[in-house]
Amino acid sequence: MTTVYVPRDSAARSVGSDEVAAALAQDPALRVVRNGSRGMFWLEPLVEVETPAGRIGYGPVAPSDVDGLRPLLATGDVTHPLYVGRVEELPWLAGQQRVTFARMGVTDPLSTQDYVAHGGLVGLRAALRRTQAEVVAEVTASGLRGRGGAGFPAGVKWKTVLDCPEGLKFVCCNADEGDSGTFADRMVLEGDPFMLIEGMTIAAWAVGAREGYVYIRSEYPDAVQTMRAAIDLARAEGWLGERVLGSAFAFDLHVRVGAGAYICGEETSMLESLEGKRGTVRAKPPIPAIEGLFGRPTVVNNVLTLATVPVILADGAEHYAALGMDRSRGTQVFQLGGNVKRGGIVETAFGMTLRELVESYGGGTLTGRPVRAVQAGGPLGAYLPESRFDLPLEYEAFAAAGAMLGHGGVVVFDDTVDMAAMARFAMEFCAEESCGKCTPCRVGAVRGVEVIDRIVAGERPDENLALLEDLCELMTDGSLCAMGGLTPMPVRSAVAFFPDDFLSRKP
Amino acid sequence: MSLLKEPDYGTPPKPGPAVVDVEIDGLPVTVAEGTSVMRAAALAGVDIPKLCATDRLDAFGSCRLCVVEIDGRRGTPASCTTPVAPGMSVRTQTPKVAKLRQGVMELYISDHPLDCLTCSANGDCELQDMAGAVGLRQVRYGYQGQNHLDATADRSNPYFDFEPSKCIACSRCVRACGEIQGTFALTIEGRGFDSKVSAGAGESFMDSECVSCGACVQACPTATLQEKTVLQLGMPTRSVVTTCAYCGVGCSFKAELRGTELVRMVPHKDGGANEGHSCVKGRFAFGYATHPDRRLKPMVRERITDEWREVSWEEAIGTVARRMREIQAAHGPDAIGAISSSRCTNEEVFVVQKMVRAAFGNNNVDTCARVCHSPTGYGLKQTFGESAGTQDFRSVAAADVIVVIGANPTDGHPVFASRMKKRLREGARLIVIDPRRIDLVRSPHIEAAHHLQLRPGTNVAVVNALAHVAVTEGLVDKGFVADRCEGFAEWAAFIARPEHSPEAVEGITGVPADELRAAARLYAGAPNGAIYYGLGVTEHSQGSTMVMGMANLAMACGNLGRDGVGVNPLRGQNNVQGSCDMGSFPHELPGYRHVSDDAVRTVFEKLWDRPILADPGLRIPNMFDAAVAGSFRGLFVHGEDIAQSDPNLQHVTAALTAMDLVVVQDLFLNETAKFAHVFLPGASFLEKDGTFTNAERRINRVRAVMKPKSGKHEWQIVCEIATAMGYPMSYTHPSEIMDEIASVTPTFTGVSFELLDKLGSVQWPCNPQAPEGTPVMHVDEFTRGKGKFVVTAYVPTDERSTRKFPLILTTGRILSQYNVGAQTRRTENVAWHREDILELHPHDAEVRGITDGDTVRLASRVGQTTLRAHISDRMPTGVVYTTFHHPVTGANVVTTENSDWATNCPEYKVTAVQVGLAI
Amino acid sequence: MSHVISEQRMANQIAANQRHLPEADAVAAVAGHIDRFWNSFLRSRLYALVDAGAAGLDPVVVKAVERIRT
Repeated sequence: MTTVYVPRDSAARSVGSDEVAAALAQDPALRVVRNGSRGMFWLEPLVEVETPAGRIGYGPVAPSDVDGLRPLLATGDVTHPLYVGRVEELPWLAGQQRVTFARMGVTDPLSTQDYVAHGGLVGLRAALRRTQAEVVAEVTASGLRGRGGAGFPAGVKWKTVLDCPEGLKFVCCNADEGDSGTFADRMVLEGDPFMLIEGMTIAAWAVGAREGYVYIRSEYPDAVQTMRAAIDLARAEGWLGERVLGSAFAFDLHVRVGAGAYICGEETSMLESLEGKRGTVRAKPPIPAIEGLFGRPTVVNNVLTLATVPVILADGAEHYAALGMDRSRGTQVFQLGGNVKRGGIVETAFGMTLRELVESYGGGTLTGRPVRAVQAGGPLGAYLPESRFDLPLEYEAFAAAGAMLGHGGVVVFDDTVDMAAMARFAMEFCAEESCGKCTPCRVGAVRGVEVIDRIVAGERPDENLALLEDLCELMTDGSLCAMGGLTPMPVRSAVAFFPDDFLSRKP
Repeated sequence: MSLLKEPDYGTPPKPGPAVVDVEIDGLPVTVAEGTSVMRAAALAGVDIPKLCATDRLDAFGSCRLCVVEIDGRRGTPASCTTPVAPGMSVRTQTPKVAKLRQGVMELYISDHPLDCLTCSANGDCELQDMAGAVGLRQVRYGYQGQNHLDATADRSNPYFDFEPSKCIACSRCVRACGEIQGTFALTIEGRGFDSKVSAGAGESFMDSECVSCGACVQACPTATLQEKTVLQLGMPTRSVVTTCAYCGVGCSFKAELRGTELVRMVPHKDGGANEGHSCVKGRFAFGYATHPDRRLKPMVRERITDEWREVSWEEAIGTVARRMREIQAAHGPDAIGAISSSRCTNEEVFVVQKMVRAAFGNNNVDTCARVCHSPTGYGLKQTFGESAGTQDFRSVAAADVIVVIGANPTDGHPVFASRMKKRLREGARLIVIDPRRIDLVRSPHIEAAHHLQLRPGTNVAVVNALAHVAVTEGLVDKGFVADRCEGFAEWAAFIARPEHSPEAVEGITGVPADELRAAARLYAGAPNGAIYYGLGVTEHSQGSTMVMGMANLAMACGNLGRDGVGVNPLRGQNNVQGSCDMGSFPHELPGYRHVSDDAVRTVFEKLWDRPILADPGLRIPNMFDAAVAGSFRGLFVHGEDIAQSDPNLQHVTAALTAMDLVVVQDLFLNETAKFAHVFLPGASFLEKDGTFTNAERRINRVRAVMKPKSGKHEWQIVCEIATAMGYPMSYTHPSEIMDEIASVTPTFTGVSFELLDKLGSVQWPCNPQAPEGTPVMHVDEFTRGKGKFVVTAYVPTDERSTRKFPLILTTGRILSQYNVGAQTRRTENVAWHREDILELHPHDAEVRGITDGDTVRLASRVGQTTLRAHISDRMPTGVVYTTFHHPVTGANVVTTENSDWATNCPEYKVTAVQVGLAI
Repeated sequence: MSHVISEQRMANQIAANQRHLPEADAVAAVAGHIDRFWNSFLRSRLYALVDAGAAGLDPVVVKAVERIRT
């Protein structure tokens, strides 16, 4: 019996992995395991076969390739045109530092055995042996910062919740991954859900919560299904429930599904939505750590943040903090997309340059044309020209350059991109996704589109550019949340780095 | 919005002492912890521009006009959502924030009609004010961009218009609907630029859950939500603070006038009872005061079959005096009497009972409180020593468990209900004891922990069982009972008997024993448990017993004498408390002092220079009996429609017909006036000058908004009748009447119009011991010394279902209408409730072949009527329900002569009936 | 219905609500209540009922009336 792996990740499924898996399953000599994705999307569907020499990969495998491939699998044939070699030795993967994503693509996401066999639960067991304060201290010492975009130190947030008087507290995982060009959260939910469960359980233990919620966007049906199945399995195993791992600690977890609003990725909107209300932003203070879900102290962290917690507890804060640079410790799971030759997950320690990511990992544009710009940090992140590609991928360096790392998404554009259109799109996106609560965002974004249209149409361009800048200042300084506050970032960067796109086309 | 500008501090006050020192633009100010920078600034005298903030609502942080700079902090935080910190130094006017504010205003105005000069809110518009305050000079975006100027108006509500083109999406209306009113009818629909205020799921205001309380209209900073009267009449020019004349909540209002015309009523933020809130009746339903049905001239007729003849005041008053004296001459001094009104002022009620006692020379005075809360007076006097509720309304904010018994506050006492609901949303638990599933049982963000759906008439069995659980499960507050009460041992031995256990009474009450036990444990175990009750307690054959039963339970659980606890009647009418306080019961002089008390009588005899009888006078039902018997022949009815509101109407009309002289003083020719010989036109509350006392013993000033349309004050008319009868009574001003009340009533000695004008209102007792009044009673000891446990045996009512009358009818009130509807039926409120409806359970309907909307016949052993049926699972099987707002229905045609054993309060809440399709 | 029945009904109802007491106490309670709250017109009607043979009257009421009159 030969074991073959065909990813169940929805990126792989979108290019036919289900059909490939079904075709392979027709061979009784093959055991088909639906693993997570390794995050090398240009190779999906990536079929791996278990051999004595390790896991050999073939990809991208179309369903029509299966008949030809099937007889060769048992031997790990090296001559097949789709043969890519031993997967773990592929330089693209081997050069990464997969810490959070160590199991990604390796295991069957819904196999509790696989999970434990690959280091699962070590962190939780370690946490339960320590006091709450010790766990919080460990996370603080690791330097782990919120991976959702804001980069707030996770340990500090947890300590705030822990220091609130005992009583009803919550742990909420923000899995409303709405940034264009990001997919790491989805991959965790689909590819290693127990890791998130373990991370949330550790967080709950650390702060004294008994109940947790995973808020997943409705556009991720596979993630919802996998996460729910994983929670059921975890309960059955005693990893969740009244006595977590046989301890006196009780914790349970529920999945909630969003309703298509980008703004619900903003933590306070997400809390409103979890409470069954319209997803609108709450003013802060009070911060959610003190008055969060249903007014109770609440840890709200991104998927990646919580998913990184088990390994920190398992290997120790020092081990994690040894990676990275300056105040950006550990690794970041970059998501490379857009017009790029080799898109996917690149997890490395903070500090690699943008150029290395785009050029070495990405291999340039898919179209083969020169890279003109990248947008880092999602739709509210800055557009950076080639001249800025030597920036180290690190929170403070990006902030200093008027940009942001955000959730780690990096989208590549070639030289055909119209940056005025991209600036307009930023305003349009804000107008579309604004919750409508604060005036700068609700009205400002609509006016922003109109002003850019007038600039592009050559209507009093100087006056309107000045007005656009005033509007950007108002939105940045006056908005209630980061949605309106960051929308000017792509606009201003587009104007600053690509001014010709705004002015050159009209007489 | 409101014309008379009250200071708006932007965010609500925070509790606690002022301990945080901050500096606003260099001005030092010390405020409570958690206070917003905006409020601190306002307290320092610095106004920060704002649109979405108002101190009636929690900070929201959406308009972004109120940004400030704080030394040592990054950015420009919104001052409404930023709490102060010690040593904070705030700058509210800097070039940076000035630019941001102008930018925000530029955005607002880029999507707003430029019709200020013709707008109904011109001069009373916060957007207009703020555009000025931030110095807006240009709108560089122009006015051609995307906008809402074509949004369709909703004029469906009879009292206000919704003009969404003027909306600035500040959410103040939505928040007011939720935070203040607690209805959650409004929401913001859509998102981003498409965000718009929506009633319900995109319905019109009238089709939505909106209860038309008007909080949204008041909260709106622009003309988006505007009173129709303002649109029609224009902005008011002056304002008079007065008190609502509907229910016993006693809301304070600013009556806003244009010239002499009343434009709108705006609830007064400083009103102790309502703190700036109102309901549809108080805010909007004042049109009856100028309704053409009002009679403004005195009228006389020889026989009730004759036509009315308008006469002069002299002739009318002379006729009353002459004929009253003639009756006394022929049939004895006790053959006449009067009924005072809980709708009238304390001063008016006082002079009525004075007229009876001093001029008539008997004690034949009773009040319409007889038919509502007389058992409250009896029961609370017996147990606590004072015939009044124990708490102020504010107290509910400290309750942990709230028990609502036989009351439907969201309909009957809506403004108090809003305060209660706020506390419930904060997490207080709720127990509802009512046969009907009232709205409170389950409404937005509120769900009762227990609804004890008892059979009508079994209140005492339920309260005894609740007490049984407390006593037998060791939940009694032993310290409180030992220190503060007497009679406990005897009572506890009685209540602990097995026949009072929840299991034993389940068959009687229909309340599952485990549910009752759980409710008892919840109440008894609460740090603060508060009981609120209504006519579902009092209007029973054991109304007084039930009041004492609740008092026993509260004492046993130590739930008296502090905030958050107590036993609290929700009074039906604006001045039930006051009319009782003023001595309008036949056995009591003002201040609840028995007429047989020689010392008390002496005080009054000296003051009034007339002997006072030591024998109690006739109660209302006794008057009717005596009239039918021929010994009671002359009645002065002050502002009460007994021919509609009293039970067993056939008997009432027989009594009225039998009398020689019936004098009605009222706004309208009501049902009772059909039996009257003299009609004296009354004054509406807008014309009255005096005081009302609400359910929390709060004495509120009623100030004349206009002169009496009839030419005379009601107290004047009464005095002139007494004078014409040979007992001179005269005052130059109602304040003199209050001074007289204060001079003879120990609980009122400190009360004067001067004090009321100074404090706004005051809760009696108000005397040298409590110069500013008494919000919570019985704090260190009970009025009677020790609280007295009274054994409360359950005695089933004689009124029970039979084969012929297998259903039990119970009655109640609906939000938009008020009692017999004399006022509300003469306003646009009929848009919500055109007729009385009989509610019955689907099963009871099905077996009778009744479908929703059918006209049905409702019959009891004393009478029958017809009305339309509404099938509703709010009712348990076997129980039907109707309101009594419309004379055409005549719900009281079917109610019986049964009454409370101690006070003769009618048993309105239990009548055996049959229902069938009307043929 | 006649007013005579009213007094009978009211007095019997008061007595019914004191029935949990020993008879002597119940008589005292009924007498006290009638004395304190009833008008002389009602009392005289009640006395008349007693004098007419007390038909339909609760024995406790009859004893209470005796007590008030003495």
